[in-house]
Amino acid sequence: MAKIFKGKVWVFGNNLDVDKEIIPFRERELGLMRDGNYGKWVMTPVDPDFPKKVKKGDIMVVGSNMGCGHGHFEGIIGLNQCGISCVIAESVDRNFFKNSIDLGLPIIECEGINQKVREGDILEVNLHEGHIKNLTNGEIMKFDPLPDFILEILESGGLEPYVTKQIAAGKM
Amino acid sequence: MGKTIVEKIMAKAAGKQEVFPGEYLKFGIKDTFIQVGSDVGPRTIEAFAKLGWDRLWDPTKVIIAPEHCGSYSRARDKVTNRESHRLNSEWARKMGVPEENILELGRIGNCHHIAIEKAWALPGGVYLHTDTHCPTVGGVGCFGVNLSAAETSFLRTGWMWFRVPKSIKFNLTGKLQDGIMGRDVFEYILSQIGPDGAIYKVMEFTGPVMDEMSMDGRLSMCCLSVFTGAKLGIVNPDQKIINWFKAKTDVPFEPQVSDTDAIYDKTYEYDCSKIEPQVVIPPYRHIVKNVGAVEGTKITSAFIGSCASGRDEDLRIAARILKGRKVNSRVMFNITPGSSDAMARVDKEGVISTLLDAGCFICAPSCGMCPGFYTPLAKDEVCIASTTTNYPGRMGDESAQVYLGSAATVAASAIEGKITDPRKYL
Repeated sequence: MAKIFKGKVWVFGNNLDVDKEIIPFRERELGLMRDGNYGKWVMTPVDPDFPKKVKKGDIMVVGSNMGCGHGHFEGIIGLNQCGISCVIAESVDRNFFKNSIDLGLPIIECEGINQKVREGDILEVNLHEGHIKNLTNGEIMKFDPLPDFILEILESGGLEPYVTKQIAAGKM
Repeated sequence: MGKTIVEKIMAKAAGKQEVFPGEYLKFGIKDTFIQVGSDVGPRTIEAFAKLGWDRLWDPTKVIIAPEHCGSYSRARDKVTNRESHRLNSEWARKMGVPEENILELGRIGNCHHIAIEKAWALPGGVYLHTDTHCPTVGGVGCFGVNLSAAETSFLRTGWMWFRVPKSIKFNLTGKLQDGIMGRDVFEYILSQIGPDGAIYKVMEFTGPVMDEMSMDGRLSMCCLSVFTGAKLGIVNPDQKIINWFKAKTDVPFEPQVSDTDAIYDKTYEYDCSKIEPQVVIPPYRHIVKNVGAVEGTKITSAFIGSCASGRDEDLRIAARILKGRKVNSRVMFNITPGSSDAMARVDKEGVISTLLDAGCFICAPSCGMCPGFYTPLAKDEVCIASTTTNYPGRMGDESAQVYLGSAATVAASAIEGKITDPRKYL
């Protein structure tokens, strides 16, 4: 994972529930996602064309309580499959925060983000330094950078590959 | 400086003198049980094979139980539930999990019920699971959090990372009216603080109302805490809780309680004396009203069960309301006890036969109808349930509507075939 990445913004609202707005629960329960391709379904309850429109490296900007509800993580796999490079939220549900990091999806809490960014803007995110530059209007926003070991988990592509590396290095 | 119960438990688990909100911790956790449910096991086995991982950090702390689905097989899974339990058990035996940790139907129930029944979750301890409602065990003063995608890594290494949350104190005063349950108190708080009222925080429930409340009511409140965005809910364990565990297990445990000068992000005070039966209105999880606002709404199904309910107290109050009465002829009333142990306990008091006499459909201990496993709702049905949540499609067809209420409200509504205030039956 690049330390600095750049992408086009998709904007969504507050309180996106993992089973309601992010992945339609009933369709999953009915076995329509048994192929494991959650990328085809992610965010479709809010925007049916989202999986078709989104491009590799794009960034999702959302409001408060991102990923609320249950701790189901199929939506995060779906966002990874769609090529979303990073989710920036006003605030994040605990399960969604932990699952995102454990599955290698960079997730950032940045107060005021959805007031300052518009759909289609191009952002440049520096995870290590903790700042976001809006290349469309030049505005710079700061956030608390994640600790080094969390960045290492993200750079490994998630917790499982991170742990595998640690085991190989004799550290676990 | 004082510390909260959660800060104390996390510090102890991480082997640190003290921890601070916002701090990221990474540590090996000893003496912590982790359950592998039959709904997630095949994924775990597949991941281990793919990653080349060949052992568990401590097989004696791993529990294998076909708990979520009971005997039900979900369309979304590639194999039947019995087949996944067979695969899990075989894998676990190969990995050295002791025979007594591999449990079969008839001796279990919903995962969070059995975590308490079997004393895997202990006051002052840490308890991990892959299910959202793991914080249920906060009701006995245990730090329970959902591992979800991190389960495999924990099984292999016994190592995990956590962020220390801030705590919000809910000082609950007054005295609950008869027929008002822990669930009503939680939904009332939700109506006050909203679905994002406690994002990434701990909801610490305290005060005279909590002192009086049963263990079952406390477990129910902590189970539901996630619907305010909270990381977990917790109650400081008292003598009642400690005695319950002492009678259950010889394993030593060290209960923790918050210091009187602990630092909270916020403190809310609620006088609970006037709380009425609370009902959550579909399709939203956070629109909560007094039962009076929706009284008379016709229903076709009713359900008591899931990790939010289905405990002794819920089964008892349903029997108290239904004794000598019948379920409305147009209503299917599914009652799913939380565990075989709970079912056996209340059966000795005649609860199960009262429910059967009334015409309830008693389901095998499991998550039951909550995620639409057993008796999923049909098209356009209207249901009242004491379950966890109610988004469209959660309990069956997407056109069905799910109201949420306490076991008492559900039982009274099942008699009348419409949403009913339970107090007139008590």
